[in-house]
Amino acid sequence: MTAIRAESDANLTVAAELAPLTEKPRTLWRDARARITRSKLAMICLGIMACYVVVALIGFSGLLNHAIEATVGPGSAPPSTASVSLWAGTDFLGRSVLWRLLYGARVALTVAFLASIVSIVIGTVLGLISGYFGGCIDAAIVWLFSTVSSIPWILLILALAFVLKGQEFALPGIGKFTLTGVPTIVLALGLTSWVGLCRYIRGEVLKLRERDYIAAARAIGLRDRSILFRHILPNVFHLIIIDFSLGLGAFVQSEVVLSFLGLGVTDQPSWGRMIDDAKLELLKGVWWQMAAATIAIFVFTLAVNILGDAFRDALDPRLRGVD
Amino acid sequence: MWAYVIRRFLWTIPIVLGVVLITFVLFSYVVKDPARQYAGKFATPEVLQAIRHKMALDKPRWINLGALRHGEIAQTFDSQFFDILLFRFPESMRWEEPLWTLIQRKAPASMMIQIPAFVIVLGLQLALALFVAFKRGKWQDYSITFLAVLGMSVPALSIYIAAQWLFGQKLGVFPVAGWERGIYAIHFAALPILLSVIMGMGGGTRFYRTVILEEVGADYVRTARAKGVGQREIMFTHVLRNVMIPVVTSTVTALPGLVLGALLLERIFQIPGLGNLMADAIANNDRAIVMSMTYILSIVYCVLLLVTDICYALVDPRVSLK
Repeated sequence: MTAIRAESDANLTVAAELAPLTEKPRTLWRDARARITRSKLAMICLGIMACYVVVALIGFSGLLNHAIEATVGPGSAPPSTASVSLWAGTDFLGRSVLWRLLYGARVALTVAFLASIVSIVIGTVLGLISGYFGGCIDAAIVWLFSTVSSIPWILLILALAFVLKGQEFALPGIGKFTLTGVPTIVLALGLTSWVGLCRYIRGEVLKLRERDYIAAARAIGLRDRSILFRHILPNVFHLIIIDFSLGLGAFVQSEVVLSFLGLGVTDQPSWGRMIDDAKLELLKGVWWQMAAATIAIFVFTLAVNILGDAFRDALDPRLRGVD
Repeated sequence: MWAYVIRRFLWTIPIVLGVVLITFVLFSYVVKDPARQYAGKFATPEVLQAIRHKMALDKPRWINLGALRHGEIAQTFDSQFFDILLFRFPESMRWEEPLWTLIQRKAPASMMIQIPAFVIVLGLQLALALFVAFKRGKWQDYSITFLAVLGMSVPALSIYIAAQWLFGQKLGVFPVAGWERGIYAIHFAALPILLSVIMGMGGGTRFYRTVILEEVGADYVRTARAKGVGQREIMFTHVLRNVMIPVVTSTVTALPGLVLGALLLERIFQIPGLGNLMADAIANNDRAIVMSMTYILSIVYCVLLLVTDICYALVDPRVSLK
């Protein structure tokens, strides 16, 4: 017995020496990374995203807190090269549009990332549970997402933002909270946009749970929780990445719409608020505030959309070869 | 097939109930005191009571148990929940009118913009997508796909506001804002229709292009080509008919987007339509309107989804077999 094992070990060593692996095995993730780094456009978009994140972090660091409220020139001054603060002109109170624009990245990215996290957590957990357990639980979750998707999404977002606005919540041990601005938007967007991901994941789990490796995992006595999160979740994770990258742009755009309808952020500068403020000023010929916010949103959404497509193409082989 | 139709029809019932439930719970439980939300912090108890009566908040919430005990069946269902379920909506606080009259008055303006815009967008999207798929890999394909991605990334709101300024104020081609009844409405509707067509093109064109390209790779297309059928005929008779199902699905699921378009366009161009009514209601904390509009439009959407699914079953036997 020992001899046999020793012999087979020796054989393995020989085999490894004879045929050294010239390249690492191609996994989905390694393949996807290679595809994305090979595409120049995707890398440029990734760079743009990184810039936005850096700007948002500067906003969080508090460096801009003074600059966004300070008066730097006459009200509604057009852009000039006199000083950095005036590069994008001033708003009607003489505050620098450029600083407020940079600060706006903070709100936009916070809303986009937090709303994504809320929707991804709900969508993933419900999708996994419903696909894996089936039966009554599945029926209930299918009913829930069918119902939520039967309400036109914009109305559901508006209704949620409308009812959540200004609500007081008492969290035991922490204190009372009044929902304002960013948390309201995050909840309204996050609680409404999980349906697509949930549906995809459920469909994928329905297929995965019939696979042999899941049967094997069950046979050696793994609990449902560890099968779900350690063996099934990694195999649907690419869906989450795709959903995340395709959703970011939509969340930033929604912030604009909510601000325009008076349900958005009111206590700090945001891109939506800038466009909303600018709508009357534009009729007086003050175009720079509007233009600045529009360009900021446009570049962000464009980069995110292109990147999202690149991620989808790289991670979902079934969709390849069509575009 | 009839089994499928009946099953699909029965499935709509729990969905509609779910929609009422979600709307009702949102507006009755998440908002702790809707009367207070409307009246503000400093309203006296008497004022609050009067508002509560007007908003029908003094009715029992789910079911009138008192009436049930006395055996008055009709009274039993005189509750807030059944008012919503049975379309007996509370009166608007701001307009002091029943919702149905408001809708009757406001709907025509919305329809005049959304219906033409929707039809034009759909036709153009399909035509463009066919053209692009036809020219796959050539410069026309790249430039139109590129434009579509650009169009999807611009915030629609900015375009609407900028166009209002450019065409309305600067060039004076269209009126800046406003509305008129009757035939002259076209004058005011032209720019909003144009804008929603332009902004609506991107996503659909790109999606239909993908759908069409997937279909072009199918075996029956190769067969048709082998038989010597012309490219044009393949595209317009064979491919177009087969892409109709994904196209119709995405058309129906795009309908909620019209609500968004109506909200933004009618607000910007001061058009007295349903979108403006909704936006006003949000600004004025008019719970009755926000709640009832959400409910009504959701029901309309449910019915449309049901109708399309049944139409599929009638057109394509593969659907009812799934």
